[in-house]
Amino acid sequence: MTEEAARGAPGNVAVDRAVDLDALTDEILPALIARLRASRLAEIEVRDSGWRVRLRRDLRTARRPSRGHSGDTHGPESDDQEASQTRSPAVGYFSPAPGLVVGHAVTAGDTLGSVDVLGIAQEVTAPVGGIISAVLAEIGQAVEYGQVLAEIDPLGGEPGNGDDGAAVDGAAQAPAPGGAAAPTPEAAR
Amino acid sequence: MIGRVLIANRGEIAVRVLRACRSMGIEAVVAHSEADRESRAVLMADEAICIGPAESARSYLSAAAVISAALVSGCDAIHPGYGFLSEDDAFAEMTRAHDLVFIGPSAEVLERFASKAGTRQLLAQQGLPVVPGSEGMLRDDEHALAEAERIGYPLLIKPSAGGGGKGMRLARTARELQQALTVCRSEARAAFGDDSLYLEKWLERTRHVEVQVIIDNYGHGVHVGERDCSVQRRHQKIVEEAPSPAIDDATRIELAESAIRAALAAGYRNVGTLEFLVDGEGRYFFIEINARIQVEHPITEMLSGIDIVAEQIRLAAGEPLGYGQEAVRLRGHAIEFRINAEDVRADFRPQVGTVEHYVPPGGAGVRMETHLYSGYEVPPYYDSLLGKLIVWGPNRESAVARSRVALKELLVDGLETNIPFHRAILEDPTFLSGGFDTNLLDRKGAAAFLDAVSGAAEA
Repeated sequence: MTEEAARGAPGNVAVDRAVDLDALTDEILPALIARLRASRLAEIEVRDSGWRVRLRRDLRTARRPSRGHSGDTHGPESDDQEASQTRSPAVGYFSPAPGLVVGHAVTAGDTLGSVDVLGIAQEVTAPVGGIISAVLAEIGQAVEYGQVLAEIDPLGGEPGNGDDGAAVDGAAQAPAPGGAAAPTPEAAR
Repeated sequence: MIGRVLIANRGEIAVRVLRACRSMGIEAVVAHSEADRESRAVLMADEAICIGPAESARSYLSAAAVISAALVSGCDAIHPGYGFLSEDDAFAEMTRAHDLVFIGPSAEVLERFASKAGTRQLLAQQGLPVVPGSEGMLRDDEHALAEAERIGYPLLIKPSAGGGGKGMRLARTARELQQALTVCRSEARAAFGDDSLYLEKWLERTRHVEVQVIIDNYGHGVHVGERDCSVQRRHQKIVEEAPSPAIDDATRIELAESAIRAALAAGYRNVGTLEFLVDGEGRYFFIEINARIQVEHPITEMLSGIDIVAEQIRLAAGEPLGYGQEAVRLRGHAIEFRINAEDVRADFRPQVGTVEHYVPPGGAGVRMETHLYSGYEVPPYYDSLLGKLIVWGPNRESAVARSRVALKELLVDGLETNIPFHRAILEDPTFLSGGFDTNLLDRKGAAAFLDAVSGAAEA
């Protein structure tokens, strides 16, 4: 897989049966791509009655540049980006708190939801205060440790500034659009 | 039937288990820490799932994280590899409670063999000779000194929950014993969460010989011969070979047969290894059971043609063994070299860094088990094992000759490894004679091995 996959384009899309193709391509796929990019997963697969979509990306190409990038010149900037991401504290099933909605204001330490690990809820808290700019996991979703569940814009301004590793990749490999685009489908709802 | 396995381990063994799964048509999900995101097993996996931070206690050693990962990724079994949770009976029990198959002995079996002191008693009752040692666990210093008096010095102080030679100490006098007890207790508590200790008579000039057994859930089992792991550095195995060059065929057969007989009678199940010390007269003494797949299992695979990891999975799924001892045929000689990221001359200090180039060796009978690739960054959080070179030949001489070629070919650039040390061992007359004991490396000193070779090269 190459740059295309690294930017989050579908590497492998399998549609089992004809569904409403417009809904799939216009809404579901962009949302899934954003989610894959925001996560640190190499692959996600979603099934519904009649269709199944699997997105895969190559983490080697997707991640290498970001590591060097955050390591040297743009250290502080990426730290800010890190700080604005709410990550899963554990591997398990996610339950959002009622207040986890795009546009809501939160303060650092607010509970944004929980991850259920074998029946024990691990709290998900806001690492910084600000405006929730993206919600990247939904109720009942399986999440891994460190997965980005939500993004908070500390300034309460321009959406997209608080993007994650995928955006950093975009910045390293190609100019801005790849980065800024990620949360949009979620944020636009 | 098992359809999807969560591999709860890292490094070369995660890759090894993944391959076994694939060859059986089983999907493999690799559970990994944040530090192992770009490990080979993760890159190869059908799916990878991050279970925690680099720190093992919160990732590879977290039973809850591992089981949760298995559940959310739709697995029906967990392979624990070696180390970490592999011999943890509470983990095996928890796995079963979540309707997942634990690939290894059942929780009951693990519990029965969890205590080394208890296992020794159990197998002594089944007729295996054991090294003279303390009756059960040491209660306190006074008890230890009394037991030591009875057994006689020198003694080895061993943590009951230990493994891999960790936390053991030698005491030659009562004074040394008293000093070592406190240190051993705190080390054992830190390493294994259990500070119970026992004593074993230290037998000078012994070899470490172990017998591989494979037993199904219904009490049918075979042995797959022995492995000689006498080339050690401070109780850590470095080179292993099979068959043992030091015992005659009569002893070999007797050892293996008494091992499988005792393991069956004591109720051991699944894949396991019985470790023995063998003295100069060919007398053998049972020391412990390893209730897991072992690092050095491939040399037995080379001799027998049996995929031991696949057997482990198959038997854990409840399949019967399906063959008897007569079907196990051992051919030729195999040697394994543990390739470690370490600076041999600097007291084997572990090394971290990026593997700039990795070029594996090839040729007849040559096998690499590794997670290396060019560009791989060796993380600082785990052990220094980079992989294993396993070489088979029709006899020991040919295995040694092929090993020399392979070790010359094997290239791991970018950080210090013990590859030159292995090359040096292969030139050592004592090693080549086959007549060495577990103290070979420590007595002579690693530097002497290396100097002997570099001196010869200059001359």
